[in-house]
Amino acid sequence: MLILAIETSCDDTCVAVVDGSRILANTISSQTAHAHFGGVVPEVAARHHLDLAVPVVEAALAEAGVSLDDVEAIAVTTGPGLIGALLVGVSTAKAIAAPRRLPLIPVNHLQGHVAANFLDPDPLQPPFLCLVASGGHTLLGAVRDRFGHEVLGQTLDDAAGEAFDKVARLLGLGYPGGPALERLAAEGDPEAFELPVAMSREPGLNFSFSGLKTALVYLCRDLGPDGVQERRADLAASFQAAAVGQLVAKLRRALKKGDWEAVALGGGVAANGSLREAVAALCRQQGLRLKLVAPELCTDNAAMIASAARFAPHLPYPDYLSYDAFATGEAPVVA
Amino acid sequence: MSSTRAASSTPEGGSRPAVIGFDTATEDTAVCAARRGEVLYESQLGLSEKGSPLHTTALLEEVDRAATAAGGWEAIEAIAVGVGPGSFTGLRVGLSTARALGLSCEMPVRGVCTLDALGRGLGQVAGGASRLAVIDAKRGEAFAALYTANGERLWEPLVDSPSGLAERVGALGENPVGAGSGAVRFRDELASRGVEIPDDVDPVHRVAARHICALATSGQSDDESGPVAPIYLRPPDAQRWRERDTSQAGR
Ligand SMILES: [Zn+2]
Repeated sequence: MLILAIETSCDDTCVAVVDGSRILANTISSQTAHAHFGGVVPEVAARHHLDLAVPVVEAALAEAGVSLDDVEAIAVTTGPGLIGALLVGVSTAKAIAAPRRLPLIPVNHLQGHVAANFLDPDPLQPPFLCLVASGGHTLLGAVRDRFGHEVLGQTLDDAAGEAFDKVARLLGLGYPGGPALERLAAEGDPEAFELPVAMSREPGLNFSFSGLKTALVYLCRDLGPDGVQERRADLAASFQAAAVGQLVAKLRRALKKGDWEAVALGGGVAANGSLREAVAALCRQQGLRLKLVAPELCTDNAAMIASAARFAPHLPYPDYLSYDAFATGEAPVVA
Repeated sequence: MSSTRAASSTPEGGSRPAVIGFDTATEDTAVCAARRGEVLYESQLGLSEKGSPLHTTALLEEVDRAATAAGGWEAIEAIAVGVGPGSFTGLRVGLSTARALGLSCEMPVRGVCTLDALGRGLGQVAGGASRLAVIDAKRGEAFAALYTANGERLWEPLVDSPSGLAERVGALGENPVGAGSGAVRFRDELASRGVEIPDDVDPVHRVAARHICALATSGQSDDESGPVAPIYLRPPDAQRWRERDTSQAGR
């Protein structure tokens, strides 16, 4: 089935055309305006999505070499995310689908990250344990089939990538600062500062990154501007070690609780080499297959939304005409 | 707060093409299908029982009804959409719907200033007076535009405080007739400068999509070759977010 998918939950306007597990086009138009503000500004994001939605759909169709006449269903992210941004995607998807009497497939963004694993090349078959760490979310999910996932753990405050970005800014690395922070950390000593690996003593599989970020804020205050400048690399390395340490500790704990054979690592933070190495080492040690989601499918994209849509309920015309992203945008993920 | 008028005429085929027009810049969801000035379907939905606009839930449903009343999508030649100024979220629902319909049906999308539509509606009550269209811009401000008795635009759409707007009106040396959610909201300020404003319940205060259709077909629409764009008139609240974000970083 040829699916056109639209994803506008945060600051990237993404459209993909996917046929089964084969990606025909995976178009992403990133917004650069937010760097100036040191984070995503919802109103700015929504304005850009409106400008870009239709042109990016046209670009994706052209790249895929198909026309709307070939498309059999329209998929769209309905949450969680920035509501004003989601609304543009949902309104666009509904209005493309309705005159053509195409079905609409609402997709949960997090299930999209999970479903990135079902795409070519090298699709991963459930069951597997999935760790998604990005600027918007931190999720540890049990994936037993292709229809959903069970949330084993998620962040109670900041997302992992959000913590990376905030600390990067604290160290004067700009936004988004994840990759710059990783480069800086490579030059530093991860044991230079003792930072809390949050939640390590608590049972459960949830994450927390705000305490770690706060610890770093105090550390920087105590060091003073000159001290911070001098120890930037050590600060970056110590932070990264603590953040990665928490992600891997929870993954290890989750693996103990079940009989898993494979682990999938996705989300924007999966691009972090230190995290990849730590997860790879854990998998080697435990004899597990590791699937590293391809970089272009790790960050937010619409191919993963189309992939999830294949296994999600289709709303036939006209059932979706009154479909409301407001009502469902923050709906919990159900396995 | 809602009214629906069904089509009185029989739908006909593509030989007599129709236009679908809608507006979501105010709290109303206004939709119309018209063919050469003849209204085939028109609806105007107000707020939900919970007091929120019905843009996201009702717009496409109403557009779908309008298309059916006009004889199906094959009978539609263009989409007309109110581009504000008005609610940012409402505008984005309207414009993304319009643009996507244009893409899906390969038809042109024409933007119409929402204040122009209110101004045109004022023609029914203004007589020989000039027409002042005012939309409540929230946060204590108003979007406004002024038109001659013939409907020609005298003021480009602007955003101002009620007192600023009243001052502009005071400088006119004549008493316009005013309408729109902003005219109702800022009645006292505007009336003190001689603006005549019909009763709050008068339909002239609400955007009727028949005027969006009419303005789009009479050529008084945004005829540039690029995609239709919203009239925001205010920058995003980026500065406010920036400050909030900075204070959070030090939390
Ligand atoms: Zn994401």
